[in-house]
Amino acid sequence: MLKFTNTFRDGVGFDTLLVGIALGYLVVFSAFPLAYNLLMSFQDVDLFSLTSFDRPFVGWDNYREILSRPELLPILWNTVKFVGISVIAQLSLGFAIAMFFQLDFPFNTWLRGLFLAGWIMPALVVGAVWSWVLAGDFGVLNHVLSELGLIRANIFWLSDPDVALYSIIFANIWLGVPFNMILLSVGLAGIPEDVYEAAEMDGATRIQRFFTITLPMMRAQLGAVISLGVIFTLQQFDLFAALTQGGPANSSNVFQYWSWQLAFQNYEIGLGSVISVLMIGFVIAVAFVYVRSTRYEQES
Amino acid sequence: MDMKFLGVLTVGGVALATAASAQQTELDLWTIDDPGEYHYVLAEEYMALHPEVKINVRTVQLRDMVNDLARAVATGDAPDITYIDNPEVALFASRGLLMDLTPYIEASDVVHADDIFPGPLASVSYEGGIYGLPRGANTIALYYNADMFTAAGLDPDQPPATWDELYEAAKTLTRPDDNVYGLAFSAVATEEGTFQFLPWLQMAGGDFDNVNTAGAAEALSLWKQFIDEGIASRDTLIRSQWDSTGTFNAGSAAMVISGPWELPRMMSEVEFDVRATPLPMPAGGDTRASALGEGDNVILASTDAPEASFAFLEYLYSQMDRVWNEFGYLPAADVEVVDPKFPEIYATFEESMQFARNRGPSPEWPQISKAIQGAIQSSLTGQASPEDALARAQSQIDKVVK
Repeated sequence: MLKFTNTFRDGVGFDTLLVGIALGYLVVFSAFPLAYNLLMSFQDVDLFSLTSFDRPFVGWDNYREILSRPELLPILWNTVKFVGISVIAQLSLGFAIAMFFQLDFPFNTWLRGLFLAGWIMPALVVGAVWSWVLAGDFGVLNHVLSELGLIRANIFWLSDPDVALYSIIFANIWLGVPFNMILLSVGLAGIPEDVYEAAEMDGATRIQRFFTITLPMMRAQLGAVISLGVIFTLQQFDLFAALTQGGPANSSNVFQYWSWQLAFQNYEIGLGSVISVLMIGFVIAVAFVYVRSTRYEQES
Repeated sequence: MDMKFLGVLTVGGVALATAASAQQTELDLWTIDDPGEYHYVLAEEYMALHPEVKINVRTVQLRDMVNDLARAVATGDAPDITYIDNPEVALFASRGLLMDLTPYIEASDVVHADDIFPGPLASVSYEGGIYGLPRGANTIALYYNADMFTAAGLDPDQPPATWDELYEAAKTLTRPDDNVYGLAFSAVATEEGTFQFLPWLQMAGGDFDNVNTAGAAEALSLWKQFIDEGIASRDTLIRSQWDSTGTFNAGSAAMVISGPWELPRMMSEVEFDVRATPLPMPAGGDTRASALGEGDNVILASTDAPEASFAFLEYLYSQMDRVWNEFGYLPAADVEVVDPKFPEIYATFEESMQFARNRGPSPEWPQISKAIQGAIQSSLTGQASPEDALARAQSQIDKVVK
């Protein structure tokens, strides 16, 4: 008995317990849902068979059905635009603001904290606020633009099929900048000041310092922020639900919202699973790139 | 109240007089109401009348009802009685999850199927059985701002009765310089869009399983005209009925198509003369139609107290004449409403109710609805002609309705 307590306290038992907890958590909350989702994508699933494993297998039928839908390509293209533009803009703005707050001026850390306000607001509130800002007839944005004399007729930010997606991207960029900014600020703070001083003495300009010191030393942070940005952007759901419901006519629909519509509005759960399987595949690829880029960092 | 059931209860009561708690029947009731609304109020009243019955009322959000119910059925935790939305009766009935009330209704002194209006009755019927009792109903009509009619030189006593008249009136009432639209409605890509469009389709001779008709194309072209010509806001494509009606209440639209659920807010907000008229019909048409909303009280097939559950449903049904004044929806059966609130508007809705038609029935209703929404949205945005959009919707619907 004493032996058992001892192994447990400072021997193999304790290690096993710790690993067991972590592994158990991963199996229950990550591996199982992933495998279950993969399984459902090959089955005919409806609401009532959701809880049982005994469901008819339909092979690749769900995948064929999704691939034959005419809305697939437009929605795919929307998703690419949504993720691409959002991540690039969030990163550049976040980086710029982080560098700005790195400058020494009164209240710089305070003001940086205030920037997080948008990020900590509940998604539902964010959606409601943006729907007031972007409303076509009485929206704040149209009011401001027409007062400034920039537009003559109202722009229907959310109901014009050529504009709706970009309006959501705009709102999403706003939502993601604070997070990017904070993570990059942490990285910037970690770059030793004397490196810059040495470079300055050698006559390096600000631009040269940025490209030869800041960027290379931020490599790991940038990799992390880009990967997380892609993942968070693929998770973005509330803005679509609050602003356009993917409309008009799917012009602002993206994979994550389409998957939800199929599974929980149409009850075509197998089809919804197909889309999440495809998205998981993509996220795994992104995560792989991320892991590779940080491993390189550790080795060097 | 079923006398036989009373008898059973009385005998049971005597036999178990020593164990007072054992004779209580417990019924679980799920509802979308909050405390103070229909199910809570009537359950309280029923328990006061029948101390031997205890009703546990639980609120479930409307959007979660189908999912929660399906899960509860799968795990054996289903309630005895629940409220479900009209188009979903077919989904649950087709799976044999609802109790067929036909034999109970035949034996009942309170419920007579003939009294229920055809639309609501169709909504609880599935393949020959009656699977629920409507708790009430709602429908849509055309609200209009009579003051704006007068100001624009239109006669508020002659509201538009045909599609052409609606177009002409809406065009006359539109004043872009004052930010006033002639008409507001909802073409949003949700069930609400289907709800608004279906009556137009049905008035023109189509139905949920027959959407590719000339009349439907005409209706969609008219809707497109409303938006393209600035008679209705472009945001009609993303606005719910509630939000569209908000613009009418604020004086930014001269007419709006919506239902009686708007009245409490409308009557407290508006400062003009509001009137209502049934939905306009296509020129020369003779088929009237209107949307059918609200839902039904159903008994789950898994209940262990079918008699007690039906007795409660009978009580709910017997209070149908109160739903307009107290709970804000229309009676779904032929009952006399004494001294209705907003009497003129009530008369319009009561008339429209006679023509209200069910959405479906089909166990695959959400997919049909999605196809119809797709047709509405792709033709209103100009991505497809109304004819092509409807043909595509028809092929999607044909896959579901065999």
